Amino acid sequence: MISRVLKHGLPVTVSVPLVVVLLMVFVSFGVSQVVLARLAVTQERQLTDLANAYLDGLEAALIDPVLRQDPWEVFDALDRARNVYAAVRPLSTTVTDAAGTVLASSDPKSAPIGSELSPVAPETQADVALEQSQQVAVLDRTLSVEGRTVGYIYAQLDISPLLTERGEVLWYLIASNAVLTLILAALGWFAVRGMIAPMKILMEHINSAAGGTALPIPANVVKRQGPEWARLFRRFNTMAEAFAERETLLTKVADEERLASLGKLASSVAHEINNPLGGILNAVDTIKVHGDDPRVRLSAVQLVDRGLRGIRDVVQTVLASYRADREPRDLTPADFDDLLVLVRPEVRRKQIKLTWSNDLPPATPVNAFGMRQVVLNLLLNACRATPNGGALVFRAEVTTRALEIEVSDQGPGLPPHIAEFLANDGPSAARLTSSGLGLWVTKRTVKEQGGSVIVGKSAQGGARFRIVVPVVVVVDEEIERVA
Amino acid sequence: MGTMNRREMLVLGGSAVLATTRHAVAQDDVLRFALTPVFLSSDLDLLDHLKAYLGKATGQTVQLVTRRTYQEVTALLVSGQVDGAWLCGFPFVEHKTQLSLLAVPVWRGKPLYQSYLICSADRDATAIGDLADDIHAFSDPDSNSGYLVTAAELARQKSTPDKFFRRTIFTYSHFNVVRAVAAGLAQSGSVDGYVYEVLKETSPALIGGTRVVRASEWFGFPPTAVPRAAATSAKTFDLQQALLNMHKDESGQEVLAMLRLDRFAEQEPALFASIEQNWDLVRGIT
Repeated sequence: MISRVLKHGLPVTVSVPLVVVLLMVFVSFGVSQVVLARLAVTQERQLTDLANAYLDGLEAALIDPVLRQDPWEVFDALDRARNVYAAVRPLSTTVTDAAGTVLASSDPKSAPIGSELSPVAPETQADVALEQSQQVAVLDRTLSVEGRTVGYIYAQLDISPLLTERGEVLWYLIASNAVLTLILAALGWFAVRGMIAPMKILMEHINSAAGGTALPIPANVVKRQGPEWARLFRRFNTMAEAFAERETLLTKVADEERLASLGKLASSVAHEINNPLGGILNAVDTIKVHGDDPRVRLSAVQLVDRGLRGIRDVVQTVLASYRADREPRDLTPADFDDLLVLVRPEVRRKQIKLTWSNDLPPATPVNAFGMRQVVLNLLLNACRATPNGGALVFRAEVTTRALEIEVSDQGPGLPPHIAEFLANDGPSAARLTSSGLGLWVTKRTVKEQGGSVIVGKSAQGGARFRIVVPVVVVVDEEIERVA
Repeated sequence: MGTMNRREMLVLGGSAVLATTRHAVAQDDVLRFALTPVFLSSDLDLLDHLKAYLGKATGQTVQLVTRRTYQEVTALLVSGQVDGAWLCGFPFVEHKTQLSLLAVPVWRGKPLYQSYLICSADRDATAIGDLADDIHAFSDPDSNSGYLVTAAELARQKSTPDKFFRRTIFTYSHFNVVRAVAAGLAQSGSVDGYVYEVLKETSPALIGGTRVVRASEWFGFPPTAVPRAAATSAKTFDLQQALLNMHKDESGQEVLAMLRLDRFAEQEPALFASIEQNWDLVRGIT
């Protein structure tokens, strides 16, 4: 599954919701950042305003007591401010004189009167500094009279509610975005599933077409789709019909090709019949003249017998090869050996050196008629391609799992366009030539048996065809063969 | 002042005369009575009731004049800008030649009160010696219980507040002394025992943060007084009668209840002799 995903990518039903999720996460991250940043800015501005109001109030109340160095008045002002400015949440406020000696603190135990203030933030630039980690804001204010510094106010404000609010907003954003993302992803999944449902239907039909049977999409299914898909489906149906028509046509072409090859055979067959016929007629003449001589008569009759038997073999082979409506049966070695009768005239005429090796077992579970047709076709092609005196090799055997047939010639080899055409699954009309068509019909026949044709170069430099058809060998037969 | 010329002196003097004249005219139809904050927490209510009672009892328009320090109140009284005032025993003995005793409050059956030394509740000090080097809160430099008693005790040990304590602060109210000690601003304080006892009742949470280190001997309760020059005036008589009869009047009883006092009584100035002795001690006269 994972390797499939890696190789082919995710299905659209997964990838689109995933993209939605990623986009949402990206967008919500950005939005959250902006919201939080805005919130932080707003909070800090509010805090700064509040803090400044607090410091302004204190400053007004503290100038006099600080000038008088009156700790009680300073403390009293701080103590009252703690209640008045409760909204600012002051944690502690300390007032020092210009030298940094504590006059009074709202938290006198940590900053007693007269102590030197530890330098918390003695000369910070800003009035307000946030220390988020400690959840406090540190404020300081210089108390000046007539341009002279008379003291300082240092204050710490509790900003934990602000930080808590930020945290709450963050969680609210995360939760609401997560819910939104899930909803959108689910919607995306449903939407994509709905969108690609027609594509699935189309894919199924295209796959079946690739398998050889192009079934049109039923009219009621077409009707259910939206306009685009309906149009596409109708086009597919038109194409499927054309495909079916072509299939019919090709079957017809294949049949015609078979007959055409018979035509090509006719002359050699006629020759094969004519030769013994001449001998037979001579024998008949001899019997007519010297029929009284028993020795001569016997010899002539034997000659007639041999000639007629030869004619019978030829006629039977032709019949076996081209008679329609036959019951399918298993392949026997004789099926191929028979064909020698049809090929021999051409072999003889062109003085071809034929190497014939037929090692088939007594019966192989393969359609005999189809394979005969295929082998005859290949042999005739090879004879035609092989020059006078050239070599031709035929080999047939059953290996552990397959029937293997090889036909090699010493011809010029296959033209590249025909080799390419055979390598592809279907014929392209533009490339169809008569010689190619014969080979294509061969290939089609082999394919019908579940096998394949492998085209290559022969050792003699010509073309080599290997036909491999998987067979299920019955076990005891196999054992028998091994024995 | 050294650079002030003669004409400026005349102008200042003139305005002082004018002010005095205006007050003298005003004294005829308004009874002015001065006091310092007592408890702070419920002072406005108390002042309303006191003003209402005095107005009813004297048949005059009463104006209550409040000042932050005894010094200010004493100055008003000595200069005749007010007809009477509620002082502390200490300023009374300081200005006894210029003042005349009017009436003295009676608290828990006696015209007496104590000074308390207090510290925060978590300390276990039992005597003034345990408070050395503290930041110490006094109420008012002119207060007997809030300053003089402690200063005199230190004087008997040949010391002074400034030497004995690390630092002293004045809060100008007994209530604030308690606040300062409770908050930890001061580690100890000198406070009016009467105020402290009343605060126990009215502000227990505040008092809870403190404890009494020691109570002093008994002193004359902070008295009411009039300028000696006006001791025999009708206005003084009316005021004195109003004070002495407060406990006999319903609205007067309300005022006394708020103050947690029994009544006002006539007393001899000798009641404040021990305060004067302390003053002499602190001044180094003895």
